Amino acid sequence: MKYSYYPGCASEGTGAANYYAFLAVAKALGIELEEIEDWNCCGATVASSVIGEFPAQVVAARNLALAAKKPNDIITACSSCYAILGLANRKFAEEKFKEKANIALKEDGLAYNGNLNVRFILDVLANDIGTEKIAAAVKKPLTGLKVAGYVGCQSVKALYKEYDDPEYPSAMDKVIAALGGQPVDFENRSKCCTGSMALSAPDITITAVHPIIEGAAKAGADIIVTPCPLCQMNLDVYQGKANKQFGTNYQLPVLFITQLMALAYGLSNDLGLKYCVVSPKQKLASWL
Amino acid sequence: MSEADGIRKYDPEFTKRVYQMDNGRWVKKCMQCGICPTTCTLKGMMDHSPRRIIQLIRAGAKDEVLNSNTMWLCTSCYTCACRCPRGVPMMDIMHDLCHLAEEEGIKNNKALMSKVFYNDVANRGRVWEGGLTLKYGLKLGIGNALKLAREMQDVGMEMFKHKRIPIIPAKGIKNPSKLRAIVDKATALAKEEG
Ligand code: SF4
Ligand code: SF4
Repeated sequence: MKYSYYPGCASEGTGAANYYAFLAVAKALGIELEEIEDWNCCGATVASSVIGEFPAQVVAARNLALAAKKPNDIITACSSCYAILGLANRKFAEEKFKEKANIALKEDGLAYNGNLNVRFILDVLANDIGTEKIAAAVKKPLTGLKVAGYVGCQSVKALYKEYDDPEYPSAMDKVIAALGGQPVDFENRSKCCTGSMALSAPDITITAVHPIIEGAAKAGADIIVTPCPLCQMNLDVYQGKANKQFGTNYQLPVLFITQLMALAYGLSNDLGLKYCVVSPKQKLASWL
Repeated sequence: MSEADGIRKYDPEFTKRVYQMDNGRWVKKCMQCGICPTTCTLKGMMDHSPRRIIQLIRAGAKDEVLNSNTMWLCTSCYTCACRCPRGVPMMDIMHDLCHLAEEEGIKNNKALMSKVFYNDVANRGRVWEGGLTLKYGLKLGIGNALKLAREMQDVGMEMFKHKRIPIIPAKGIKNPSKLRAIVDKATALAKEEG
């Protein structure tokens, strides 16, 4: 299966581990990823507050137009990129929007008619690849590992019911189970981590991530996994601060779902565990 | 503020202006059921709940809306939008309000952050997360930046140790000026409409 891959800016920085793990896992599963040539930042949720919504949507749509040179679905492993690209893509169903957006895109010699699908990694894994294939590639089953699958907010809610139930999401748990792990049900599994607020208002983020980590810990999880670079960063990097503020001592490693897959597939070179601030070495000792 | 002299200032022009924004039509659709505040991520810290913001827009309470922290605290989590019986995309309204407040020159940290982020997009086509922190710090002013640096020192060190801060920017897109031309054109088209 072939996809046009949109990595997003986090893949070049704080979410580098996700980038490498995804490439490796895709290879193991026979997913062909062709990176969209010359992709630009999707603008996240902040561009529109600076330039207004329509220009922001067109900035995101430049990537769709670049991808349109091939007929494949677009895939991304970042929740925010998925939300922004997916919502911009939907706008192309409106004739008036399409026409205006194309006038702007023409400035870069580009055009787009809205014919592609924007897909999230969990959607592709659960629905295109399927749990059987995911399970078949496992070399080191994660037997006995209790995993809290934190889906966050945008990945399931922004494009409301596109591939999963926004209130009771199940796609990630299916993947975890296919790897031989034990998905745990926990409180706050789709509560927002406050995303990019971590930089402008870290106090708010610290207060928001604590109940999520606590929910996972109380449900007996050994580790947390997430598909989203911002979620991963906030839960991992701010965990120490949250512990300090709330007088707790949680040490829950936070991995990308792609890293968990790489672990189960025995792809030790592409695990990228060194990026984790809360060390996963102890909890994952039996598989490393 | 608007109640300083015991008289509230209502500005029907403001209501019209919001209605004309990209997502303004949704403001009219809200039935004030109050579901959004019960689900909102940061309602507890907002000056006005999402529902109340809609009510204030309709009332023309310009100052109260534009000076509130509500839209800046919206995390764009889409939780309320999933549950809203009228399908109101609250975060999109919030983005419009942020844009309006920016145009009116209202300042706060999130606005600064948005600008720093967007400048990277305009100049390089991609965001360099390492530089983002630095440039944001500079914009905050040296006093605030130092305070933030002190508070976040441990986090910064950990991130550094674990190679989470990209020190060297990855290359941007081939021709950022073309991207800017797209934005300029789109901005002009959006104005034409309004
Ligand atoms: S949930 Fe929807 S209809 Fe109800 S108050 Fe909020 S925006 Fe209005
Ligand atoms: S999208 Fe904004 S307003 Fe709605 S629940 Fe999330 S933070 Fe609150």
